[in-house]
Amino acid sequence: MIRFVLRRLLAAAVLFLIVLTLAFAVVALAPGDPMAPADPRIPPEQAERLRALYGLDQPLPVQYLRWLGAVALHWDWGQSYRTGQPVAELLFDALPPTLLLAGAALLAQYLLGIGLGLIAACRPNSRLDLSVRVASLVVYALPTFWVGLMAVLVVAVGLGLAPAGGMTSAAAFELGPAAAALDVLAHLWLPALVLGLSMAGDIARYTRSSLIEFLATESGRAARARGLSETRILLVHGLAHAAPRLLQLASVSAPLLLSGAVVAEVVFAWPGLGTATLLAIQSRDIPVVLAATAYGAALVIAASLVADLLLTRLDPRLRAE
Amino acid sequence: MIPVVAMRLLAAAGLAAILGWGCASDTPRDTTRLTVGMRFEYPTPNELIVQQTLGHKAITSQLLLPLMEEEPDYREGPPSWRPALAETWEFSEDRLVLTVRLRPGAVWSDGQPLTASDVRFTWQAQTDPDVAWIHSYAKEAITDVEVVDERTVRFHFSRASPTQLADVAPEAVLPQHAWAQRPFAEWRGDPGWFFERLVASGPFRLENRTPGRELVLGRNPDYLEADLPRLQRVVLRTAADGAALTTQLLAGELDVVTGIGAADAQRIEGRTGLRLYAYSSRQYTFVSWNTGRSSFEDAATRRALALAVDRQAIVDTVWRGYARVGSSPILSDVWARDPEFEPWPHDPEAARTILAAAGWRDLDGDGVLERNGEPFRFELATFAGAAARWDAMQMIQADLRAVGIDAQPRRFDPNVLLPRLLGNDFDAAVSGFAIDTSLDLRPTFHSESIGGGHNYAGYANPEVDALLESVAARLDPVAGLEDLHRLQRILRDDQPILVLWEPLTLAAFNEDLESVEPNALSPLANLQEWAWR
Repeated sequence: MIRFVLRRLLAAAVLFLIVLTLAFAVVALAPGDPMAPADPRIPPEQAERLRALYGLDQPLPVQYLRWLGAVALHWDWGQSYRTGQPVAELLFDALPPTLLLAGAALLAQYLLGIGLGLIAACRPNSRLDLSVRVASLVVYALPTFWVGLMAVLVVAVGLGLAPAGGMTSAAAFELGPAAAALDVLAHLWLPALVLGLSMAGDIARYTRSSLIEFLATESGRAARARGLSETRILLVHGLAHAAPRLLQLASVSAPLLLSGAVVAEVVFAWPGLGTATLLAIQSRDIPVVLAATAYGAALVIAASLVADLLLTRLDPRLRAE
Repeated sequence: MIPVVAMRLLAAAGLAAILGWGCASDTPRDTTRLTVGMRFEYPTPNELIVQQTLGHKAITSQLLLPLMEEEPDYREGPPSWRPALAETWEFSEDRLVLTVRLRPGAVWSDGQPLTASDVRFTWQAQTDPDVAWIHSYAKEAITDVEVVDERTVRFHFSRASPTQLADVAPEAVLPQHAWAQRPFAEWRGDPGWFFERLVASGPFRLENRTPGRELVLGRNPDYLEADLPRLQRVVLRTAADGAALTTQLLAGELDVVTGIGAADAQRIEGRTGLRLYAYSSRQYTFVSWNTGRSSFEDAATRRALALAVDRQAIVDTVWRGYARVGSSPILSDVWARDPEFEPWPHDPEAARTILAAAGWRDLDGDGVLERNGEPFRFELATFAGAAARWDAMQMIQADLRAVGIDAQPRRFDPNVLLPRLLGNDFDAAVSGFAIDTSLDLRPTFHSESIGGGHNYAGYANPEVDALLESVAARLDPVAGLEDLHRLQRILRDDQPILVLWEPLTLAAFNEDLESVEPNALSPLANLQEWAWR
């Protein structure tokens, strides 16, 4: 098992290095000059000085090796062209809100998806089953930004059931720990639900088909023959049967969740990686865009790795392969 | 059974608490606090190490005072200055020395006195190559800043110019005792450090900061004006998307939102409890015709292009009326604007006549004019991300197509297009400039600014060069008014650029706020006087 884990870790590291190299190459080889002064009053010598300051006057291979070395040895992603902040610090501040939102959305999508899948599987081909299947397809097809906008307008502005944006109320630093947690939850539930909805339909369909498939297997029939209750059969044995497939879905949904989180963060003014990335893109802040790309890739690789390892734990045949 | 019921009750109570918290916007307003939404981060109070935008400046000026502040009186005449940290100022007879007397009683928020040494330290930082302040060119004419005594400082100049006060006055005076602890060479490495060592001289001081999210400013009890500010606390919140900020404003979670887009402004207009302000941004958007290209080499053709484009339609459609039709780089509400200036009207018929006289004919019947065998076809470039410009370019394309000109709109990353504009390597391009009140147009129209400068059109006219130099050399800008008028008329006739529109800045405020007076210099101008009714 240890060799297997090490092998997977090595593969993940190589993949990350490839992503880093490609991201750097795409940015560095693009034509243009990020230090060209947009303000007519700024003399060209000032741009030269800034180019030297950010190391942009060096040959590309030197820039690449310096950048990679700083990242590998010190986790130093350079400085934001726009704000001057160390990029690692900027993204370190932005990462926890994104992980919180994505984690809550993951929880929401599995709770909703498995719940709806169970309901549908209890009475296959009934009206209820049909409704769940149609609803899950509709939800899957709707773009997150549109659902988010509608949710903000209806639930937050119209009904006033949630704040319209942000992760906390204004000046929330004054709240005590319990009130602060409640404040974050009040801001979290709607974006997490919107983001979770996008994949919940998929999970519902997978859960339903896995459970129906299980009931038709010898194990399913044997469980019924032993007189186990339908609830126990589905919840314990059925879900155990569906678990590997659902875990595989987690590795697929991780990138979707992260890209969806960027959209949801913008719509809900959630201050995470998505907001930081959008602000950086709007102002052509290349070091931040590069690092945000790398962070996104690292999160996706890590999520896939964890899902793979869990899957292998559940199904030892995969380890042998 | 009981635990299940208890758990259900607990879950219901938790849900109610979360939803109840979410509905907290119905609670009475906290009238000591103002919440402002903004579309940018405020990474540091040190304006020398960041891109100095109007928004950044608007916040810095609440924390750190400059020597003097520009009055928003550019409609009436050249800018005047009101005292901030400076009490009085006086030029020597040859205007090579400016003596500034600081206000008595000025202290930093940690109780340390604010002295002439702070002023000298600020100039040293502004001109230090390691700090690499992007606007250090503004200090080129200052040769020394001499500390005469605790409250008196002398600026020595290498030459007299009409912008001497502007060269000295508007930047924040920095706290030497707090910030000199870090060598200039290390300033750019850690902008957040300046928050940790921030002592204020302005109406507010920093109370709390959550990076990337929120900045909380509290009333500075040591501020020079004893009764100000009237608000106890200002909370500045960041979001990347303007529509999200507008939604929060409509939901009552924000009291002020600045930099609103035209589409969002329509969501706000007429809403009870909100006031929308539209005011000059001192910016203009224009098309540069590359005069080095054969299609744009003659002024007659460029005038025809101006007549062909319906700028009023662009303002009405793209800007939904929240802009003014442009016509000159000296904006319509600036004192030096020629009162008899007549902008080119929209007249496609006149455009066709001029184009025909200039030798443009559609000989092959494909709907596109030709001259000397070359079709009138060109790339119309702009920067990616500027949605309004892109929409306007579709309308320009249609207008030009109607007179037989084929313009092909294309968007480029700014890092790509800007060097092309600076190198005059383009056909035509839509871009924009913000213009200060110095009215120095040399960087954009002088022939020395071709190739590397911002004279994108490659426009060269000896008379214009002479007028620009004459205006820049006059110590009293009003004495150069006739030259400025003549300049506007030449640029109108030569049309190296077609000024499309002057955008208005849009900001929305809660109607219960009083004394709100945003202007082109700052959306938070006179924030210290704002109060809840």
